[in-house]
Order: sequence, then structure tokens, then C-alpha cells
Amino acid sequence: MTFPRILPCLLITALLTTTAVPASAFERVGDKKILVFAGRQEVPTIDPSIKYDWSIRMMQQALYDALVKYVGNPPEIQPWLAERWEVSPDAKTWTFHLATQARFHNGDPVTAEAVRWSFARTLKLNQGPAWMLSDFLKEDGIKVVNEHTIQFTLTQPYAGFLSFVPWWYVMNPKQVMANEQGGDLGQKWLTDNAAGSGPFRIKRWQQGVLYEIEAVDTYWKGWPSKDHVGGVILKLVRESAAQRAALLRGEADIVEGLTADDYDVVAKTPGIVVPNYPGMTTFALKMNTQKAPTSDANLRKAVAYAFDYDALLKIYNGNAVLQTSPLPQSMRGHVAVPGFPRQDLARAKEFLAKSAYASGGVELEYVYVQGLEEERKMGLLLIDNLGKLNVKVKMVPLTWPNMVARAAKVESSPDLMAVFATPVSSDPDAVAYWYHKNSWGKYYGSSFYTNADVWGLIERARTLGKWEERAPLYAEIQKRIVADMPEVFGMLANRRWGMRDHVKGFVFSPVRLTGEVDLYPLAIVAK
Amino acid sequence: MLFGLLCLTFAIAHVVPGDPARLAAGPDANAAMVETIRAKYGLDRPLGVQFARYVRGLAAGDLGESLRSRNAVRDDLARYFPNTFELVTLALLLAVAVGIPLGMLSAVYKDTWVDHWARVASVSGVALPAFWLGLMLQLVIALYLGWLPLGGRLGLTATPPAPLTHLLFVDAVLRGEWRTFGDAVRHAVLPVVTLSLPALASIMRVNRAEMLETLQADYIKTARAQGFSGFRVVTRYALRNAMIPTLTMVGLRYGWMLGGTILVETVFDWPGIGLYAVNAAVSSDFQPIMGVTLLIGLNFMLVNLFVDLAYGWLDPRIRRPSVT
Repeated sequence: MTFPRILPCLLITALLTTTAVPASAFERVGDKKILVFAGRQEVPTIDPSIKYDWSIRMMQQALYDALVKYVGNPPEIQPWLAERWEVSPDAKTWTFHLATQARFHNGDPVTAEAVRWSFARTLKLNQGPAWMLSDFLKEDGIKVVNEHTIQFTLTQPYAGFLSFVPWWYVMNPKQVMANEQGGDLGQKWLTDNAAGSGPFRIKRWQQGVLYEIEAVDTYWKGWPSKDHVGGVILKLVRESAAQRAALLRGEADIVEGLTADDYDVVAKTPGIVVPNYPGMTTFALKMNTQKAPTSDANLRKAVAYAFDYDALLKIYNGNAVLQTSPLPQSMRGHVAVPGFPRQDLARAKEFLAKSAYASGGVELEYVYVQGLEEERKMGLLLIDNLGKLNVKVKMVPLTWPNMVARAAKVESSPDLMAVFATPVSSDPDAVAYWYHKNSWGKYYGSSFYTNADVWGLIERARTLGKWEERAPLYAEIQKRIVADMPEVFGMLANRRWGMRDHVKGFVFSPVRLTGEVDLYPLAIVAK
Repeated sequence: MLFGLLCLTFAIAHVVPGDPARLAAGPDANAAMVETIRAKYGLDRPLGVQFARYVRGLAAGDLGESLRSRNAVRDDLARYFPNTFELVTLALLLAVAVGIPLGMLSAVYKDTWVDHWARVASVSGVALPAFWLGLMLQLVIALYLGWLPLGGRLGLTATPPAPLTHLLFVDAVLRGEWRTFGDAVRHAVLPVVTLSLPALASIMRVNRAEMLETLQADYIKTARAQGFSGFRVVTRYALRNAMIPTLTMVGLRYGWMLGGTILVETVFDWPGIGLYAVNAAVSSDFQPIMGVTLLIGLNFMLVNLFVDLAYGWLDPRIRRPSVT
């Protein structure tokens, strides 16, 4: 029999022998239950010093530990590698006392020297999370007091220091340096290897296909449930319709990134739950405050009062809440700003009359992410709303790199740009700083907002140690920003996941990024 | 030709707006961090210097490093291209295996129900968007009927065979891992069918048209008059002569499919070069874009070379030197 004749026989035999495999809700390997997470985003690197986004950080959080950890809603900072800590009254010196039982996966103890080395490495490589602390912390400000005590002396007081520490993961220097290539501080090796002390270790890393981690049974901090997952497979499923199908068919236990309509459909399906929580990701229509016509504050206010906020919520099938301040509602220091704009055509016309475009007749460019249906609908809403002011809207869909490039310069930054922005910490400085001149050129700084008084308040608030002194400053900052109206303050879209009901232990924390889930507390309780 | 392609791709990649260093540094990165990335990858150098450096690297087999994956582009291509190669080759084999006989039958039984149905199938194949078709197949075959998996190359807990050729099917056979081979076949059915349908339709239409013309030729009438069987006339004489335009279409389709699998790869999570290229494009990651373009260009040239050689095999007159 020749090969071409054998081939069909082989194919038919293969199909017949394998089609009988039923789809299971989760995978079993021996006595371990493996949770399958269908996500759309790759994990190109897991080096904690190099990069973070939701999928990268979900894996980093599973493989590494930090001194402290965000837990719950509203997010609270809990001790982790550090059992306790002290801060000097001027918020310049922070001392952390480490848990003595903490161990890396290879059995080495987690020491203060490992913490020092990890922070120094991130600062030196100056990538990923380095920006969070590099303005305040230099390598020589990190001191090992003893084997289990580490001290950080900042170059200037910074009250937000602790709020960023959860994202600075501790690596095993011995393991990393043993794999260093050409003085790269282990960058190449840490791309798809881990040297952490977290609850999981890497099992399989098939770039572009799936990433599998397995639970460390002897995790130094123990496990919150006896039914904790034995491992997690992050399977790349790039199309939301395919994600939905995977969840319905039982090929995935958790999915993220479904459309608003899809979430509503799967929520009604027996055996599936949809956790639904207000997030901290703000949506705004950023207006260029330095270039005509939106440099005119009255025109900006006219736009803000003409916008239909209720329709904005309908775009998300009601799964969102309107902003009441530049700061998200669950953020410390948030105040509901009195007179926060809501649709009021009479007021919009009043502001327009005071502007240099009293009778309208101006066209505004609205730039949004190409292919993002919700943002396209917002553009249509703008056309309808601003048409009543005789203001035209030109919708310009762009790819994200092009939008970032446009936002980088005041001359090219659009009149209106749709921007989702997620604060990386629970400290109000994380959002307030978006309105500081140092944020110009970043996508969330595309308004090029200018107000020296507000900048002064932001700079002062971040250096004060006592919350009682900081709180009134943030209240004032929020009021003043709204008075200047550098953007149409939109909404906080809910965070949602589709989840099989045998998945237990899910803990939501709004400070995590979009699809990110804390895998540590998850358990599978099969019926 | 490849050098021209290289120059063109380099120029286009650097003309489009977007700052790769800023995108690689992350949304919150400060100016110093962006500059660190820019310096590390030589993006702060003049364009001419960057181009010369790229060409020098290329001559040494170095395609640069991806800003997104932080891997050597050569390694990334070695990881993703075999998957696309297998998908496209299987899809084309299916298209040829079904398209040519269907075109032939359609021509032989012109204006009968066989011809009508074949033409309906071919029009549908061209008209149905691959994206929609893929999703529908997933919905019906995978979700409702549960006959085949939704996507991916292997089951979640399956381990691919140790690589010999980096082609999953070949490696599974060579290693004797038949269970893995079967799993791979099941995962390949839907993407292969989805990708093959437009090619199948084109091949069928071209083959039908050529067969119709050839069947009217004098030498076919002569062959019939000499008493050769209908089957022999059609398969041995008519089909062979009708194959040259069909082969051109097969070559074009193969080249096009190698560079046009993105939709199918997205729907079925097939870890191929199309997805890799799109991810690189949306993050302005120039080196992978250049690497993928060169690889596809090279493949296109090779496929055309093979097609040209096959002309000579099909029609011996082409092999003979022309007489003036």
C-alpha cells in the first residue's frame, strides 16, 4: 500500500479513536484539578522588572510574592512577604520586617538581600514598574538592616510609596544570576522562567498557545482552601465568540473580555456565573486644552453638558456607573464633586454662547480605537448630542499605536479622544498625577491640562505623610480639575468574567488590571 | 526582488505613525524609560544607520529582536511558521483534492444538476467570509454537535512530541505518537476546511473553465473518434492540458494563503505566523514585521519557482528550446 493510500486510513482511524473524548469542565491531572482560563492576551514575558499588563501580572502574581499584596474591594494592602512595616513621620523612611518562613521555589530563604537585589534590578533596568518609584528611590537608598529587615530611604517624602510596593516582586538573585547571559541580569532567562516564591511554579510555557502553572503544595504561606486549584492553564483564545463557546462547552472555567451582550447571555446559562463589580478603570473623552477649538474652556463645558451620560451607560447594558469625580469611587480620597456635569442642554447652550464659537459651526475630531464597537457607538452619540449645538463631530478610528503617537504631542493630540485608563495603585496620587504636566504626552495626558495651582496641590499632597493632611488637598484637586473640564468625565465600566459555578474563592479587587484575577484563592468544588 | 521588498517594508514600517519604544516601554513609562528602550534597540540612530545595521544582521542570519516578545525574531519565526505551513499545506491539498475533480465533473456534466451544485458550492466558497464560516463551523460542529474541538492545535493536557522537524504532524508520525497525531488531526479539521474553501472554489472554477475549452479541442474529438474511453480522454488528455492555468491558480493561492491566514488563525487560535504578524503590526514592532514579510516573500518566490518547473512536467513542449 502506497503512502497516499495509507493517509486516508490513518486520518479516519485517528478521528474514530479520538472523537469520543467528552469535554470536561476542568482538566484533571492525577488527583489535581486544573483550572482553565481562556484569555485573549499573550504573556510575552514574565520578568517582573520588564513589563506588566493584566495577563503578565496575573502570572507574575502567581509565580512571585511581593512585600505586601492588594486584597479585596475596596483594595486593602495586606502583609505578605513582609509581616509588618513602619514608616517615619515624614514618609521618607520605610522599614519592612520579613516573614522568616518564606522560601523561594528552590528552597532558598527569602531574605532582605533578595528584596534589595530585586528592587535594585528593577531600578537599574528602568523598565516595567520602574517608573512607579524611580523618582523617589535610588539604589543606595535601599539598606539591608539584617537578614529579615529591609529599609527604604526615599529621596523625598512620598506617601504613595506603599501603594506601589505590591507590584514589585521579589526574585531569587542566586537563581537569576546563575542564568545571566552577557551581563543582562538574567533578562533573557526570566522571559519564560521564574525565580520566585509565589504559590505557583511554571509547568509548561508554550508561547502563543498556552501557559501552565502548577500549585506549590508546600507554599510557605499555606493555602486558603483544601480544594485549591492544582494548577492553572491560561489558554489563548483570541476571539470573544470562541471564548464564549469555550465557556459554554466547558472547555474553559473562566473567560474574560466578552462583549456586553455575550456576558448577558452567558449569565443566564445554568452552571455559569458572571461576577460583576464596578472597576477603577475610568472612561473619559479627553479634550486637547491647548489647541483650538477645545482650548476654549466654555466650549469644553458645552460639550460636557451636552453629552448624554445615560446613553453611555446603555452602551454597556447598564453594567457601568457614572463618574462623580476624576477619581474612581472606590479610590481613597474620592469626593463626589458638587455640580458634576450631567446632560443639560440649556446649560450647554449657555456655555457655548460664552465661548468664541457662540453659534457653533465648528467641527471636532473624535479619535477612538479602531474596531472597538462601544467607542464607535460613543462617537455616534457625540454626533447626535453635539449636533444640537451646531457642533459637528468627525469620527476617526485609529489603531492604538497611532492614537498613542497622536497623543504624544500637543499639536497632534485630537480634540476629543476616547481613553480608558486604569490606576495602578489605590492611592489617589495614581490618578491625580494624570493631570500633572509630567503626564503630558502619555495617552492619559492627552488633554495637556495646564493649571499651575493644581500641579502644586498634587505635588504637595504626594509628599505629606498623614492622610488627614492629604485628604482635603485631594478634595480640592478634584473640584478644581472639574472646574477646568479638561475632559468629558464618563463612567467606570464594570469588570466581568464568565465563570463556571464550580470555581470558588474568587476575590475581586478593583486595583487589578482589566481581566486580571488573583489565582491564589481560587478553588474547584466539583459537584 | 527580496532586497526591493526589504527596502519597501523598511520604509513603510518607519513612515507609519507610532513610537515602538513608547509602546514597548508601557503606557506609564516616563521619558527616561522610553529613551532606555530606544537606545537599547538602536531606535535613536538615523534611519540609514538602522537600515544598514539590519541588512548587516540579515546577512549573518540575524533578523533582529522583537520589542514585544523580547525574543530573537528568527526563533519566533521558527516557532510559528511551521504551524502556518502545515495549516496552509493541508488546506491546499484539500482544495486541490476536491476542487480539481469537482471542476472536471462540472465541465463533463455541463448544465446538469452536478454542474449546478458544483457552481453553487464554488460561488459560496468565494462569497463566504472565512471569519464568518469559521465561527459558524465552531458553533455547529464544535459547540452544538460536540464532534470536534473549538480551536488550538492539541488538547489542553496533551504534550506535543519532541521536535524533529517542528511540524507537528510529521513529528507525531516520526515519534510514533499516534494519539497525539489523532488529536492534532481533530484540531486541524475545522481550520483546514475553513481556509481551503475559497481556494477550492477558485481552483474548481478555473479548472471547469479550462476543461470546457479543452473538451472542445480537435485532439479530444480525435481521441474520442479513435475509440478511447471517455474516462481516459478526460483524465489523461483533457485534464492534463487544462492543468496549466489551474496550476497557476494553485501557486497563487498557496502564496496568498501563506500570508493570509490571520482570520482563520484568530478564530481557531492556531499559533501561526499570521497572528504573530498582526500582533507585531499593532504594536509597531518593526523587526518581526520585516522578518515575516521577507519570509512570506521568499515563500512566494519558491512556490512560483516550483509552479514554473511543474509547467515543464505537465507540458513537455515548454521544456524544449524554442525553434526560431
